[in-house]
Amino acid sequence: MAYPSMGEAHRRITDYLNKFCDAVSYQDVASLAQLFSFSSNSPSLLSLADALNFFQDANRLIKQSDKFSQFGEILAPLFRSLQSNRLGNLVEAYHAFEKFANAFIQEFRNWESAWALEALYVIAYEIRVLAERADRELSSNGKSPEKLKGAGSFLMKVFGVLAGKGPKRVGALYVTCQLFKIYFKLGTVHLCRSVIRSIETARIFDFEEFPRRDKVTYMYYTGRLEVFNENFPAREEIQYNGNLLFVLYTADHKLSYALTHCNPLREANIRMILKYLIPVKLSLGILPKTCLLEKYNLLEYNDVVQALKRGDLRLLRHALQEHEDQFLRSGVYLVLEKLELQVYQRLVKKIYFIQKQKDPSKAHQLKLEVIVKALKWLEMDMDLDEVECIMTILIYKNLVKGYFAHKSKVVVLSKQDPFPKLNGKPVNS
Amino acid sequence: MASIGFNMDDDEMMNQAANTQTLASVDPNAVENRYVVNANQGQTSLYVPSTTGSEAASWNMYRVENHSAESGSFSNSTYHHVQHSEPSSRTVQDGSNATSLATSSSLGGTNTQPDYGGYTSYSNSAGTYSHGSAGYQGYYSGYQQQPNPSYSQPVGAYQNTGAPYQPISSFQNTGSYAGPTSYSSTYYNPGDYQTAGGYPSSSYTHQTTTWNGSNYANYTTQQYSNYTQDSSGAYAAGNAGANSLHYQQHYKQWADYYNQTEVSCAPGTENLSVASTSTQLPQVSQVPGVSGGYPTSNSQAPTTFAPPWRPESSSSQTPLLQPGATVTGAYDSYRTHGAPSFQNQHPSPVQPHFMKPLESKSSYGNFQEQQKTACPQLPNLQYPVAQQAPQNYQPPMQTVQSLETQRVSKLQIQTNPRIASNLPLGLPKLDKEGPNNSAIAKPAYISVSLPKSSEKVLSNDAADTVLKAGVFPKSLKSYVQRALALCKDEKQSAACQEIMKEIITKATSDGTIHTRDWDAEPLFPIPNTDMTDKNNSQNSTAVSLFSKYKKSPTRRTKSRWEPLEEKSVDKLGSLNNYAAKYSSRVPLDEKDRKPIGASSEGKTDVMKKFRFPQMEQKSAGKTVQRQAKRQRLADASAADNGDASSDSDKEQNLTAYYSGAIALANTPEERKRRENRSKRFEKVQGNRAESNHFKAKNVGTGNLYARRTTALVLSKSFEDGGNRAVEDIDWDALTVRGTCQEIEKRYLRLTSAPDPSTVRPEEVLEKALLMVQNSQKNYLYKCDQLKSIRQDLTVQRIRNHLTVKVYEAHARFALEVGDLPEYNQCQSQLKILYAEGIEGCHMEFAAYNLLCVIMHSNNNRDLLSSMSRLSAEAKKDQAVQHALEVRAAVTSGNYVLFFRLYKTAPNLNSCLMDLYVEKMRYKAVSCMSRSYRPQVPVSYIAQVLGFSNGVLTNEGSDEKESDGLEDCVDWLKAHGACLVVDSNGEMQLDAKASSSTLYMPDPEDAVAHGDSSLAVNDFLTRTSS
Repeated sequence: MAYPSMGEAHRRITDYLNKFCDAVSYQDVASLAQLFSFSSNSPSLLSLADALNFFQDANRLIKQSDKFSQFGEILAPLFRSLQSNRLGNLVEAYHAFEKFANAFIQEFRNWESAWALEALYVIAYEIRVLAERADRELSSNGKSPEKLKGAGSFLMKVFGVLAGKGPKRVGALYVTCQLFKIYFKLGTVHLCRSVIRSIETARIFDFEEFPRRDKVTYMYYTGRLEVFNENFPAREEIQYNGNLLFVLYTADHKLSYALTHCNPLREANIRMILKYLIPVKLSLGILPKTCLLEKYNLLEYNDVVQALKRGDLRLLRHALQEHEDQFLRSGVYLVLEKLELQVYQRLVKKIYFIQKQKDPSKAHQLKLEVIVKALKWLEMDMDLDEVECIMTILIYKNLVKGYFAHKSKVVVLSKQDPFPKLNGKPVNS
Repeated sequence: MASIGFNMDDDEMMNQAANTQTLASVDPNAVENRYVVNANQGQTSLYVPSTTGSEAASWNMYRVENHSAESGSFSNSTYHHVQHSEPSSRTVQDGSNATSLATSSSLGGTNTQPDYGGYTSYSNSAGTYSHGSAGYQGYYSGYQQQPNPSYSQPVGAYQNTGAPYQPISSFQNTGSYAGPTSYSSTYYNPGDYQTAGGYPSSSYTHQTTTWNGSNYANYTTQQYSNYTQDSSGAYAAGNAGANSLHYQQHYKQWADYYNQTEVSCAPGTENLSVASTSTQLPQVSQVPGVSGGYPTSNSQAPTTFAPPWRPESSSSQTPLLQPGATVTGAYDSYRTHGAPSFQNQHPSPVQPHFMKPLESKSSYGNFQEQQKTACPQLPNLQYPVAQQAPQNYQPPMQTVQSLETQRVSKLQIQTNPRIASNLPLGLPKLDKEGPNNSAIAKPAYISVSLPKSSEKVLSNDAADTVLKAGVFPKSLKSYVQRALALCKDEKQSAACQEIMKEIITKATSDGTIHTRDWDAEPLFPIPNTDMTDKNNSQNSTAVSLFSKYKKSPTRRTKSRWEPLEEKSVDKLGSLNNYAAKYSSRVPLDEKDRKPIGASSEGKTDVMKKFRFPQMEQKSAGKTVQRQAKRQRLADASAADNGDASSDSDKEQNLTAYYSGAIALANTPEERKRRENRSKRFEKVQGNRAESNHFKAKNVGTGNLYARRTTALVLSKSFEDGGNRAVEDIDWDALTVRGTCQEIEKRYLRLTSAPDPSTVRPEEVLEKALLMVQNSQKNYLYKCDQLKSIRQDLTVQRIRNHLTVKVYEAHARFALEVGDLPEYNQCQSQLKILYAEGIEGCHMEFAAYNLLCVIMHSNNNRDLLSSMSRLSAEAKKDQAVQHALEVRAAVTSGNYVLFFRLYKTAPNLNSCLMDLYVEKMRYKAVSCMSRSYRPQVPVSYIAQVLGFSNGVLTNEGSDEKESDGLEDCVDWLKAHGACLVVDSNGEMQLDAKASSSTLYMPDPEDAVAHGDSSLAVNDFLTRTSS
């Protein structure tokens, strides 16, 4: 690329400085945010970076006038970061950016109003993205990637700045969401706890006041957390030291909230939500329509759904095996695996119906042998003891009403509603 | 005696600490009051609190150091103690005094802002300096307390004088005297102040000795020690930036003067030695001498005094006695000002003439300052004079040395009575010390620091400083100038000077300084110095900062610069050589001066170093450490010290201390300063690294050893709680090669560096592992042995197949007996080792890991992550597959499957499953009692729940079945199941009845703390076995 002339470089840099100062003095968030938006790769930023690399001594320009030098602590590292970023030295860029961000936060703290929130959002986003890239660079060099962690603690600081009373608090949720992204990426999900607690218990946060975008993201991530915890039912009361602390909306609620509030045109987002919502719904006994799975390309769940419908244990196991890696990674494997009991229930129910057609008077007595035979047909090689155990578990978990007579090896079903539906309640555990 | 003195001091320390606190609290108010009187403005008020706080803190520090450093002088300390008791009782009075001090300081702050700037720069350049000042203040406060009772009246007078003084103090500040402002106001203060300057050098120790005797000992505990170390470290570091503006000014104005001084300085090497000596013995003697010297300056009109002085200084040769005589006269007058008691003292000071000359000179510096106050017109001139004075001072010292020892003893005796008289003694001493300190300190500065303000002028000056003496060959001078010419900025030139100093010391010690062809000598690479601008921060510093600086730097220096002290020692060694060669008068070297700082560490140490410079390097490092330790001990009592070595600690302390000055603290300036401060340390480290590098090139021999010791020191300081980065430690140098041939070794947790003679090399460890594996002894024995093997491996940093084998063996043993904590340790190590690519039974342990997660962590996320981490290959492994099946059985609650898997478990999987059996059985029985109606035969339960298999029950023989049955019945009964016997005589579980009566009994071996293996009885039986 053609290098700009010295004068041109000088002009670009002072231009940028002027823009920055103007944006601050006029409280023009939009243009301020633009100035920080590294990842937008906007031509103006790129050319500025080139100019900086060419001009080298931008700090002198900053120091030259009072107008700029008052923001020297913000601008100098920002320039350095731009330069390094442009040169592909991402670790260096990250360091400088963090310095810049810290300086900006200091300044932000002093501003009474929350006008610069958008710019802060950009910074929170950029620092995360930059940290991820820097980590990639680090790990490709065989060093331990730790920048994302650093970004996490920085954002935690930002959260502290925002999470007070006052107009700035509406920004807290955005930062929280960026934190979630970092923590989920790092696998340090337990760190989400403290943030969630302050969001959900603090009186100063009225959740509905937050921007919708942030609410949806927040619900998505917390919903995922609840999936981990297998916390499925619609709502739960959380007790702490014997006191009712708050009502916890669990996976189903949170993910449903995210689904209903998210932008319906963003199919990728909807798919992400459904990826977790479907297993949750399945374990509550609610099956999705095939067309939904098709629409959002979630066909990996199709076999699972079919297995549930048919009571086909083999199909379920097959589906789990086929998509094991995927399910393990997204964290729904265990949830899906637990559907097995529902499949058994379906199978027993089917046997019951068949028996009923043959001989209604004896339909409620299911011989263990019959079930074993049915499983054999499904190529499930299980002996009597094992099947007996499964039957007792089904009864124990209230998927089957009745009892097991050990002496005669017969499952005696209740005459009333022998196979209770889950109806949105999870299987007893 | 020394040890006794120490003890005494400690006790007193406690008392004093209490006193100091009270004082500190009192101070602010009093200060403010005073302030008003002084007409100092608002700043002062803020200022004062901070200073007082710092003082309190500093006191503690001081004390410790004194002890360590001054063993020789301690006899005095006991003496002093008696006196001290009085002061403590008069805490109230002290408080008032302190207030006066505070006021003085506040005045200084207002008046001397420029000075402050100098100060700040100082601190930046060398952490030690700031420390010194802090310590100083602390000291000073203590000081005041003592003198106060008698002196209260004088104080008032002092304050009056204070205004003029302050300017002076500012001058001093350039040296490091930020504190002096306070001095200016009170008589005492100046003295204290000066002492602060002197801190780095021997003078401090002297003071401490005397002081200890008085109240000071208590005060000074911690900071003192820190200070000395710091100073030495800082010096060694060659704080490039150290030069303050004042200095530069001096340089310019007094360029001529300097030359003269240099000439006079020629004995610089001597000076170094002198300094050390002074620290050792002379201090006491010096004190009297100083007192004498002081008065002279005071008594005489400052203006008049100055002229005579300079000549003297310039002609270093001036007979010692003469100055002493003059001094004495002056002295008397001086004292008259303060109090009648002084006059009494005067005679005594006169007696130690030898010492006096030196001190008098130093005092001269002070006097000059005073004069300056009197004649503000000539401040610059005076200042340089002060510097010169120190130089002059040093030469006399040397001559005196021999005499000094004797005198010291005598002097001490004399001084003691004076001390008894309390105030007068204390004051003179302080004054004397102050000058000495200042003198010493200043030289150090000069040497270290490159003038910042006037860079160009500086370059010449710098060259001069580097080659102070005209003694050096011209070619060398030009070489230095060439090198300096390449420097783009002050920082670089500062770094350059550092390096040059190294080179020159090297050359002097080699004796090649005159033989080398300096014109042909290649220039060294100019170091990149990303140093912060010290000057900027310095100028803007407010008092609060200032105080902070003092504190934090001291501690830091302690932690970071210990290794540097070795350097200084080196220099000392070289100096010694130097001195030997140029015994008469060699120009003062910057290097030489640096060592002075080091000398403060301890007289004895210094002495040793001088005598066996090279031999003793290591020991010097050790002594430093020891001192540090002692300090730490002493610190424990003090509230603020803690393990002060860590930066964060310091900062916290600082913030705590200066909470009063919060307003200042949050200003942008303050922030800047903080940043600068942090950068400063980066710089210093960088410098050190550079110089080390340089050294490595030049020195070559002995380098390895040095590195080892450095590493040791580093690691030590690291252990000490400093937050030194682990990367700084050269682990290679620390790695031990074992020589022990014993196969058996008991495990003992290391509390010190490993001794190679007790560490077994790899071959022996291999045998040891075999021995343990074949041993018939119990697990505790094996565990002990394996731990010691592991320790030896770790100490020698052996990480290979043997390491893996040891950990695997230990993990298996631990599993066999269900020792999960030990197992977990091994497992986590194994994880790392496997990740490093070392072969082992990877799969087996992957299975264990999986089982462990399933059984015990009960955390879905952990389970998911460890499952997803399994490779496809791993999933085919029998053990891993088994573990996965177990997991499925557990999550689904399939007890039949679980117990079947239990029977077929490979490796030690069953051991881990054992830990889950109880839970699984309970779950199964509660499931059964809910699902079965009406009854379940116990035999079936026994079969399904794995009771029947003592071994593998493929064909459950009747005997075993019945055995299992009984076990099962016992278990069921223990868990509250209802059992009935049916008509066939078969035992049945009454499901319906049981469903409400089942319970999980407390495990029999439950203990309150949750770990039955820690139960006392168990422990006793185990240890006896």
